Formats: sequence, structure tokens, C-alpha cells
Amino acid sequence: MSYPSEGNLQRAIAFLAALGIGVAAYIAIAEAGGGSPVCLAGSSGCETVAKSSWSHLAGVNIAVFGIAGYALLLATAFLANDLARFGGFLLALGGFGYSVFLTYVEIFKIEAICQWCLASAVLMTILFLLCATRLIAYAGTGEAVPERA
Amino acid sequence: MSYADRRSRLLQLAAGAAFLALAVVLVLIVVSSSNSGDGGDTKLEGGAAVRKLVEGIPQHGMLLGDPKAPVALIEFGDLQCPVCAAYSEEILPEIMETRVREGEVKIDFRNFTIIGEESVTAGAAALAAGAQGRGWSFVELFYRNQGGENSGYAGDDAFLEAVARGAGVKDLAEWNTDREEMIPAVEESSQEAQRLGFDGTPTFAVRGRETNGIELLGTPDSTGDLEAAIDEAS
Repeated sequence: MSYPSEGNLQRAIAFLAALGIGVAAYIAIAEAGGGSPVCLAGSSGCETVAKSSWSHLAGVNIAVFGIAGYALLLATAFLANDLARFGGFLLALGGFGYSVFLTYVEIFKIEAICQWCLASAVLMTILFLLCATRLIAYAGTGEAVPERA
Repeated sequence: MSYADRRSRLLQLAAGAAFLALAVVLVLIVVSSSNSGDGGDTKLEGGAAVRKLVEGIPQHGMLLGDPKAPVALIEFGDLQCPVCAAYSEEILPEIMETRVREGEVKIDFRNFTIIGEESVTAGAAALAAGAQGRGWSFVELFYRNQGGENSGYAGDDAFLEAVARGAGVKDLAEWNTDREEMIPAVEESSQEAQRLGFDGTPTFAVRGRETNGIELLGTPDSTGDLEAAIDEAS
């Protein structure tokens, strides 16, 4: 089976992690300013989700944990060794799992959808697939595998 | 360790982590789905209705609405009082949807605990929720889940925490600390209601441009009566 080059996977991971930082930072900043993220098309789902108790863990906005997670994922994209591959996989796995749980909470507990949270969940899902591909394809190789000509 | 060994070991660890993550997510979903609504172990009704009712309306302390609104409607209520709950569901929503949402009126909830000690505990919990900007959400959700007077539910920590969680209180540890400290404030507002001559709940007062201080309204019979009082005060 042929896989994308590790360099391409790293670039895609870096790009999506940077996007994720932007999304999570927007949610955190909107909330820190006393407001809520603004949903598109006039939906009030973002405000409902942001004001629910699920939006915080131990008093800290979960978007802050999101920023930290995406930042660490971004860092793994700049390294080409097993620690970065495995660490990136674990981070993306944790982020993906938590995103699945939060999406469940939005649909079945809060009964409202926050488009920004959903965007973050989609990003985390793609990042998980990319990090898993990277690990499966390149685990055990000490350095970056050169791109094929 | 050879390349193949290292690769095999990493992939085994990754597979283990993936199974563990799947198990954790499933456990989280099962645990949270066995709890009802937003209320932890306690089944709560009306969470979605309350969120819809107060959504987009500012909350500061126990004040609902724009703090600069020209008319202040003051409600003295007891969280255990069934008439207050009925009032909250039948009389006030229209005013909240129109006058309060449009910034014309703000409603100030004050505890007037006439039913029993549990009302004081519950009232303090509401004030602690107010300290986190969720006071009205707490009051509305409490009313929608009211039990029998002095039957034990209103002073029950699990129930109060469920209401706080459902109301969107974000820091439950802080709320828990605050509510102990709010008891004197509950007693103070009850004494204020007595000084004003009230002897039942819910009782209302209004303050606006056209009133001389606080004007006592008692318990208006309908939304129309309350609106007429607001019009006179504004």
C-alpha cells in the first residue's frame, strides 16, 4: 500500500493544527470577553453550548485545552521521529475521542449544535486520520523518509 | 532494537491506546446518558425551555435584562412556592420575551423565604448561581422541577447541584463555596420584604421614571396587569 510522503503528512498536520488553534482561540476569546462565539446564519446554538456547564472543565473553558492540544500537535508536525509520530497519534486520538463525546453531549444533552465546536471536531477527526496514517506508514524509521521522486 | 521490532512495538502500543480511548469514550457516553438532562444524577425537566426563555438576555447577579433598563420589576419569591412557579411559567414569560428582551424592563429576583428553612438553602444556591451570571436560569429551572413544600428536595445538595449544572453554572466548586456565604443575603432580602409589608409570594414591586421610589404591586393577576404597572412606571 502506498502512503503519502511523511513530509506531506507533516505539512497537512501543521496546517490543520494551526486552523484548530484559530478555531479554539476564537471560542476561548469570545467567552473570555463575556460573550459567546457567534454561529453562522443566526443560529443560537453557539451561545447555548458556550453557556452550558459542559463548556468548562474544572472551571476552565475546554477551548483552552483545545488550544494546548492543537499547539502540541503542531509541534509534532515539525519533528520527524518516533516520539513525534507516536505523541502526535496519542494527542490526536485523545482529541478525537473527546470531540466524539462532546458532539454526543451537544446533540443529546444540550440539544444544540455549536458550529465552531463542530468545525473543531471535524479538524480533530482529520488530524487523527493523518496522524494514524503517519504512524502506520513511518513508525520505526528514525528520521524522515525522503519523498519519492 | 531492530527497525521491525521498534515498529511492531509502536503499532502495538498505538492499537492499545486506540482501544483504551474507545473504551473511555463509551464509558463517558454511557455514564452521561444514564444521567438525565444536564442535571447530573437528578432528572430535571424543562432545561431546553429555560435555555430558550433566557437565551440572549443579559444576567447580572439576580437581575435579568439590561441593567440600564428604565423600569425595574422586583419579584420577591420563594423557590418552594408553587404559585411562584406557576407565575414564572404563565405570567412572566411574555414580559421576558418582549419588555425585558427589548431592554425596557429588568427583573430583579429577591428571596422572600416564607415556606421553610429549605427555602433559605435553595435561595442561597440561587444567589451563588447569580454570582456566576446564571441566577435567573437557576430560578427558572428550579421552579420547573419543584417538589412538595419542605419535603427535603429543596435543601438537597444533589438536587441543587443538578439545578446549578443545568442552569449553566460553570464553576461548581466556587458555586458550592459561595452558597454557604449567601445565606445572610437571603435573610436580608426576606427582612426587606417584611419591611415593605409583604406577607406572601410572589409579590412584586416596580421602580421607574414615574414612580416615587419603589411602588408596591402585590401579586398582579395577569400579564396584562403587570404590563399596565410597567407602563405607568415608565
